[in-house]
Amino acid sequence: MQREEKQLDSALEAIIMRVNDLKSTIAAMIFKVEHEYETLNWPNFLDNFALISGHLTSLSKILSHDKAPNLRNLTVLPLHLSPEKDEELLRMTEGRISTFAHDLVPDYLRTKPDPLVEQKMLTYETKVASLTYDASHKQVAQYNKVINHVWDIANKAREEWESETSSRATQAQTSNSADTHLLVYAVGNGKGLKSDTVQMVQGVGNSIGSNMMVGRAGGQSQTSSQGPLAGQMTKAPSTIKTNIKAASQIHPYTR
Amino acid sequence: MAAPIGTAMDSLSAALKSKIIPNQEYFLQGSILDSAVEVLLHRLRGLCDNVDTGPETFHDHEMCFSIRRGPPPELPLFLRVRRALDYPDMPWQLRYIGQPELGDKSQPTVVRSSLDIATSNTVVEFLTELGCRLDFEYIIRGYMFRKGRMKVTVSKIFKMNQGKLPDGMEPMSQSYLVELSVLAPSGQNAIAEDIRIFAEQLKPLVQLEKINYIR
Repeated sequence: MQREEKQLDSALEAIIMRVNDLKSTIAAMIFKVEHEYETLNWPNFLDNFALISGHLTSLSKILSHDKAPNLRNLTVLPLHLSPEKDEELLRMTEGRISTFAHDLVPDYLRTKPDPLVEQKMLTYETKVASLTYDASHKQVAQYNKVINHVWDIANKAREEWESETSSRATQAQTSNSADTHLLVYAVGNGKGLKSDTVQMVQGVGNSIGSNMMVGRAGGQSQTSSQGPLAGQMTKAPSTIKTNIKAASQIHPYTR
Repeated sequence: MAAPIGTAMDSLSAALKSKIIPNQEYFLQGSILDSAVEVLLHRLRGLCDNVDTGPETFHDHEMCFSIRRGPPPELPLFLRVRRALDYPDMPWQLRYIGQPELGDKSQPTVVRSSLDIATSNTVVEFLTELGCRLDFEYIIRGYMFRKGRMKVTVSKIFKMNQGKLPDGMEPMSQSYLVELSVLAPSGQNAIAEDIRIFAEQLKPLVQLEKINYIR
């Protein structure tokens, strides 16, 4: 007997804990809806729903557990009703119930649904009973049809989406590593830009004379800049050639 | 006002010592095919800071000069001159770029020292007088984006057609060069990680890599 009581106690404790969890998440949700409705977004809101449903599942798991006592077989018996204000009760119920009196107890200890709900249930039950088998069968078929239709639409959308992503994955190459090397070597090292260096030096030399030295005594600067340039030209070609050779031997970029 | 002459050098070396001069360039390079460049520009417009003004365009002419410091085994010193073809009144730019350091796998980007200054348009003559030789030159035209301290350029490289500028340019390839870079004082290796993360966001459109273009 004592063992059973202990079991009941621990089970009740666990159930109360779950119910408290559930209560606090619901309170948090209500708080969010009331105070953060301007910044609240759907993902956040749905997260809250997920939390609540998680708590509900764990609660129902506890209730359906083999070792859980069958609460239906137990009775709550109110031993003492009093119209006086009960501070302890007020604290336990977080200020919701102040007295354990005749007008409140039947409502709080009620094990059947609300009268209003009960009435509604009754009307539904009579409605169901009055339906013929054919009519209900027809309705079920119609409902299934609608559900299937929605299911098809969802599936089609998913297929489209998946084919789109897969086509994106197989999209053509957007970059070419040979081109990358070509450009990087050209900019960094002058590879591919040096081929007609000698002509270019001359060309630039001329263009310096004509374009860039605006506002200077043309003849004078021309001779002064041409002098060392021409002097170098005799030396230059040999080093350029070796440079190019060395470069192409060591790193052909089409490796 | 009456500071003794020579403090300029002193303050420069002091600045170098205290590492406030952004003289290190951290960068990654890649390319994108002409056909896909619009997609990349669109994505960069979304990722980068200058959204409302749109990307900045540039159209530059770069000349790379070299001067020998010693007999062949020693690498010559490279100096680059750049001028904006679309803004002829802008100062020209003289830039020194050091050898790229690729580091090991743990280092996310290439690092090279980089110093640049604005110059007048007579810099080419000045360099020639010094004994520098024009190594190569090219036209570079494209778009520039900013993301914090990072600079992203998407540009087309054109060969110079002897003498005549800038019409009849011949593109180097059917791709745009993509560069992602930051100039920072030496020792700020954290920025390299930022670059790597940003480069990840551009995959698989562009593969930004460490490429050693010297060897």
